[in-house]
Amino acid sequence: MTSVIETHKLCKWYGDVLGLNDVSLKIESGITGLLGPNGAGKSTLLKLITGQLKPNIGTIMVAGEKVRNNYSLFSKIGFCPEQDSFYEEMTGLQFISGLLRLNHYPFPEAQIRAKKALEIVELVDEEDRVLRSYSRGMRQRLKFAQAVAHDPEIIILDEPLNGIDPLAKRKLIRLIKDYRDKGKTIIVSSHVLPEIEAMTRRVILIHQGKIFAQGDIHYIRDLIDSHPHIISVKCSDPRGLAEKLIKEECILKINFGSSKGSLLIETNNRDRFFGVIPFLVVENDMEVYEITSPDDNLQAVFDYLIGK
Amino acid sequence: MCKKNKVGIQFFLQSINDVFCFFFDLGKRAKKTRIFYLISFLPVMMALLIKFLQPFYSNRNIEDPYIFSNMIMVFYLQFLILILSLFFGTSVCSEEIEGKTLIYLITRPISKASIIIGKYGAYMVLVILMTVIGVFLSFMILNINNLLDFSIYKVLLRDVSVLILGIICYSAFFTFIGTFIKRSILFGLIFSFGWENVIQYFPGSTQRFTIAHYLKSLLPSASSTRFSFLLFRLEPTSPRVAVLILIILTAIFLAIACLLFTVKDYILED
Amino acid sequence: MTIRERGYAHWDGELEESKFSWWPIATYGVKLTFKKKFFKSFFFFTFIPALAYLGGIYVSERLEDFHFMIEESAPFIQVNPAYFKSYFTNDFLLFIIVMIIIFAGAGLISDDIKYNALQLYFSRPLKKKDYFIGKASVIFFFMALITLIPGLIFLLTKIIFSGSFKFVLSYPWLPFSTLGYSLILIVFFSFYSLSISSLSKNRRYVAVMIFGIYFFSDIFFQIFYGIFKNQYFSLLSIKANLKQIGAFIFGQKLPYSIPWFYSFLFIIAFCTFGGLVLKRRVKGVVIVK
Repeated sequence: MTSVIETHKLCKWYGDVLGLNDVSLKIESGITGLLGPNGAGKSTLLKLITGQLKPNIGTIMVAGEKVRNNYSLFSKIGFCPEQDSFYEEMTGLQFISGLLRLNHYPFPEAQIRAKKALEIVELVDEEDRVLRSYSRGMRQRLKFAQAVAHDPEIIILDEPLNGIDPLAKRKLIRLIKDYRDKGKTIIVSSHVLPEIEAMTRRVILIHQGKIFAQGDIHYIRDLIDSHPHIISVKCSDPRGLAEKLIKEECILKINFGSSKGSLLIETNNRDRFFGVIPFLVVENDMEVYEITSPDDNLQAVFDYLIGK
Repeated sequence: MCKKNKVGIQFFLQSINDVFCFFFDLGKRAKKTRIFYLISFLPVMMALLIKFLQPFYSNRNIEDPYIFSNMIMVFYLQFLILILSLFFGTSVCSEEIEGKTLIYLITRPISKASIIIGKYGAYMVLVILMTVIGVFLSFMILNINNLLDFSIYKVLLRDVSVLILGIICYSAFFTFIGTFIKRSILFGLIFSFGWENVIQYFPGSTQRFTIAHYLKSLLPSASSTRFSFLLFRLEPTSPRVAVLILIILTAIFLAIACLLFTVKDYILED
Repeated sequence: MTIRERGYAHWDGELEESKFSWWPIATYGVKLTFKKKFFKSFFFFTFIPALAYLGGIYVSERLEDFHFMIEESAPFIQVNPAYFKSYFTNDFLLFIIVMIIIFAGAGLISDDIKYNALQLYFSRPLKKKDYFIGKASVIFFFMALITLIPGLIFLLTKIIFSGSFKFVLSYPWLPFSTLGYSLILIVFFSFYSLSISSLSKNRRYVAVMIFGIYFFSDIFFQIFYGIFKNQYFSLLSIKANLKQIGAFIFGQKLPYSIPWFYSFLFIIAFCTFGGLVLKRRVKGVVIVK
């Protein structure tokens, strides 16, 4: 499969601060998730890909062309920025149609496309309201609308699901998948793993300006699974449960938690553990009050990957 | 190759036109435009007030054309067009950076130079409209007794042309300043009311380092017996040379602005 | 002896409200101003008039030594209330004050409106008056450094260089004039800058307005005076009004032949109007239609 976006040994400094370090990527068509904690370098990478910043070292090729100051390439790119900024005195329709005019669409066509884009994100009823009065979620959807209004081949979305309610999130995710089915190349950045998981299996993990992992999400999960997980269980008979669990091969260590009735279980196979525990609980007639995973977050994933 | 260049130039002009339409439309409805329209009508209010008060000061024998040329025009030339050009000129770039809307422009299939020129053009039209309407109205009010004397319209045309040239040149300078200085307003104020005012009083060729010198060279010098505080020690350049220099300066400032805007990385602070 | 438990220990004492809840706003505002890129270099230059006048005080005590240099300008180097008045009302100092309030004051309220910080302020036990006092304190600090402090230093320096209290005994009201006029300048410019800052969320507009209104008022006066030669037009100019009040406070001849209290009323009216604008514009919640 030919890559749509290629970067080679990309580095970017902000003064003394290293934003990106030796990033070499090949991104193919479909949805690619760009995952990393805040300050990892996701926005820097996306700004370099969209030509907003000039790399200090390295090259970027988008659709086989260099991107920096290659403005004709932008008719193929749609970018949804992270910042919440607009021309506040415009209405939603004026904003999108105005930007479409900058894509060289004549006025009548720009109006039609703008209305269509607003329809896609369900903002048609608010098209004549000034942007100043839009809510956070509406503004986020509007940003997405302006990114797709000119039907680009490459769609780059920087934290598109920030500030959106769960229902709107699901709709937007479905929309992104629809664009993938149309053959578009989409890069979505986020710091929330389940959001990315809902859209794609292909991810790039970035941390402190470096790419830590790239590929299928299950591959990354396997990496996680090879490191011990800690799971907390609160039940009516912690000692009894511990006695049963200790016999399982996937259990590495069991500690008694500080609060009454809690166990801290260390396992190297989470899936196996969650398969076993229901049987044990039912078999021994126990009551389980709570099961949580104190280290089931992105930071823990990265901690494991970078060897902390 | 020639055809490719032609297509390239056509595309560039089309981009400038698209940017111009976008920002002219935005500028027309902007709150700040309405406020600056009000400000540019202050000389009209002054003219009305002068006309109203004149019967009470009939012993003061100052002709209306003199008031227009030596006071109202000087107010426009030494104050109002500077403020308008400073604000709108620096806004060409600074507004996009401060408002973080630059992203929407530089991710469109338009060159960065066309963004500068298109937006500059849109703001220029707005500022020129503001100024010309104000000048026209104050001229009419002050010359209400001589409206049928068509020779006075030559004066109006000359004065309006000088103001337009001034707006174009000052705005180009402030656009250039706005592309690379963060606190461009402060620098602009110091330039406009510090440098431009002070250096004019220097003899010899030093005066030629100000834009105001070339603008004043296009206006007739007032007699030394009259109230002419701002034409002190003017050693004018010939009008044709003055116009040429203003046009060249405008082109240079805009060219540098386009170049800086194209090569510079603007980091939008969160 | 009981063993103390580790962890959070609830405070059993009484929670006292700070008497100076505006203090953090003031200190933060001053620190933020000093962080601005060119401010420190600019602020250094604002002391030039004060240093020049201080030099003049030294020269006045050493007139015999400098007599050969300053023979013609000897009257200038007489340190008296007129000397103080010429420092406080000179055009350059007033211009510097305007530039300082652009640097320090333009963003004081406009930035809070822009970033919706007013809600954060008023969701705390902070009254509106504390907010205004805090913001005004920033202006007070910078202006005091170029008006009140140099004025008091001039007095002190004159006493030290002359070696006696003769100067203060000859003009016992001079310290109060210095204090009074400095306070008038500070209060006026605080209202001026804060009310304009509250009018817009864009600091650039505010900077242009602060500069524009001040200079436009003077140009307005110059034009009308040039035509009608009526000194009452000086009431239109902020600068002229301040000079009029300054001349009265330092016991000097008034620059314009109109009663000084007209200028004082203008200043009070301007401050009142500014206060009303502030009260209306600074709100915890803004409804966008």
